[in-house]
Amino acid sequence: MLTWSSLKAYFRNRGAIFFSLLVPLMIMGIFGLINFGNSTPSVNIGVVDQAHDQVSGRIISSLQGIKAVKLHTGSLDSEKHELQQGNRDLVAVLPASIGRGSTAITAYYNQGNPQNSQVAIAIMNQFVDRASFAFAGITPALTLDTTPVQSRNLTYVDFLVPGMIALSIMQTGLFGVVFTFVQWKQRGILRRLMATPMRVRDFFFSQLVTRLTTVALQIIVLLVVGLLLFHFHFAGNLLYLLIVGIIGGGIFLAMGLAISGASKSEETAAPIANLVSLPLMFLSGIFFSRSNMPEWLQTVTQYSPLTYVSDALRSISIDGASLWAIRGDLLGIFIWLGVAVVLATRLFKWEVV
Amino acid sequence: MSVSTRSSEGVPGTETHGFAIVVDGLRKRYGTLIAVDGISFRVKEREIFGLLGPNGAGKTTTVEILEGLRSADEGHVIVAGIDVRKDPEKVKNVIGVQLQSSAFFDGLNLLELLDMFAALYGRTVDAMAILRKVDLTEKAGSTVPKLSGGQKQRFSIATALVNEPQILFLDEPTTGLDPQARRNLWELAESIRTEGRTIVLTTHYMDEAETLCDRVAVMDHGKVLAMEPPDALIQRLLDKGFHKERVERSANLEDVFLDMTGHGLRES
Repeated sequence: MLTWSSLKAYFRNRGAIFFSLLVPLMIMGIFGLINFGNSTPSVNIGVVDQAHDQVSGRIISSLQGIKAVKLHTGSLDSEKHELQQGNRDLVAVLPASIGRGSTAITAYYNQGNPQNSQVAIAIMNQFVDRASFAFAGITPALTLDTTPVQSRNLTYVDFLVPGMIALSIMQTGLFGVVFTFVQWKQRGILRRLMATPMRVRDFFFSQLVTRLTTVALQIIVLLVVGLLLFHFHFAGNLLYLLIVGIIGGGIFLAMGLAISGASKSEETAAPIANLVSLPLMFLSGIFFSRSNMPEWLQTVTQYSPLTYVSDALRSISIDGASLWAIRGDLLGIFIWLGVAVVLATRLFKWEVV
Repeated sequence: MSVSTRSSEGVPGTETHGFAIVVDGLRKRYGTLIAVDGISFRVKEREIFGLLGPNGAGKTTTVEILEGLRSADEGHVIVAGIDVRKDPEKVKNVIGVQLQSSAFFDGLNLLELLDMFAALYGRTVDAMAILRKVDLTEKAGSTVPKLSGGQKQRFSIATALVNEPQILFLDEPTTGLDPQARRNLWELAESIRTEGRTIVLTTHYMDEAETLCDRVAVMDHGKVLAMEPPDALIQRLLDKGFHKERVERSANLEDVFLDMTGHGLRES
């Protein structure tokens, strides 16, 4: 009965429901649009042609044939300037004497974007090797035959949607609980309830059910929007997604209770909740893969609760993983759940003392 | 004038018959602060008992201990025959509590809230009948934020009646209400007492205590300074030779106000 009442009360608050969905949807929209159609990464290579002859012309046209390369040509000064501006990943200089004595192609690369420069250098190396063999009339000792295999074309959206689901789980858990509980404490609602013979576990059960129902609805809405509007490729099992989402939601609910227990007013609760949620949001591979982080940070952040949740959701939705396949993440999720529940029971107080 | 903090009604703790509440030697400390300093008092059945005193006197702590919301350090507390210190949860079943700031889940209407409160006691109630008692049937489908101040307080009392309590605790029920609404609430309190319930009232309004209470206890610094019917306390003060600078006329400004604006409740 208490559960039913609290569900009714919660879902009548349409504004809150709307916003709890709006924010993840907005972020998904923004990030989804920015990266839309930009799913095949390309490197920008600038070529400075100082020879202007047959050889350099052939080099340039074969470079243009490489799909992953966006080729720009220009003078040494202008291309170097573009490199400094970050608009080129690599600038190759074809000297005037190329193919007639001189064999050196000088390449400048952008240190600021090592990932792309490395790709550009690898492409140039391969190209130079092949060109050398051709000039010398040598048949390479080894060749690589590539056979295309039809695979799901993973886009950034496929990475982003599970991350957004994880994010909304955290936000609902943390903020939904922190603000309502602090308010209920301040307005004396908790005290009024404590003056009845209400069993504490019934109360927490009702709150848990209310919030986790919200989490489940959010997962479904985000998934549907992802599928319909952003061509999200969902390969997994919805039930698994909900299970992970709901258990993960439990972590953040418990954290929220701990925070609302430790803080006396909304003014202190909000910064604490942000202090927890902001680093988690940016360090748990929600928007971007953690593989871009320095190694030590990757090591640290792989233990973040949100990393476990988002990785698990991603494995389920992208790889169609079973619960057994993500047992590592699930173990992490359960450990965090335990920690958060202990914290919540220690810190939660019924009254503003 | 010095009044013993011991109740004058016999040896404490021996006879609880006829008393709704028996408190004997109650003590409560918060760190070094002694909030309640060994007080004793008894509340008779069907009595409206006032607990008066400035802020910080220990009223709230005392009431919260009686309600089973706080633990006591020392003393005996028997409420409706139940030892509160031994079984605080059991006490909650036989008392009703109206709190000063009575906010509820905003999303639910009055009927739903009453049903929910009843469920917390493992009961089902005729919510409409309870609303009728507090004159709120017209607002049955509204939510609490839409009620006026007096209506909120009446609804708060309604939630405290769902379990047919033997004892009702009212915490400053008329603070912030206009004179009409205050009188309306006093009538409600009287009618609840007529049903056979005992009422413990804390208030800062002396006229309220004088009108409603059969007996009042005046508390300060964690002790009970006096405990008698309001008239007896007034007489005692007069006997000491006290007299006001200005002699009270047989009407005051509030009477003027009510004469001009009427006793009718002003609620939308």
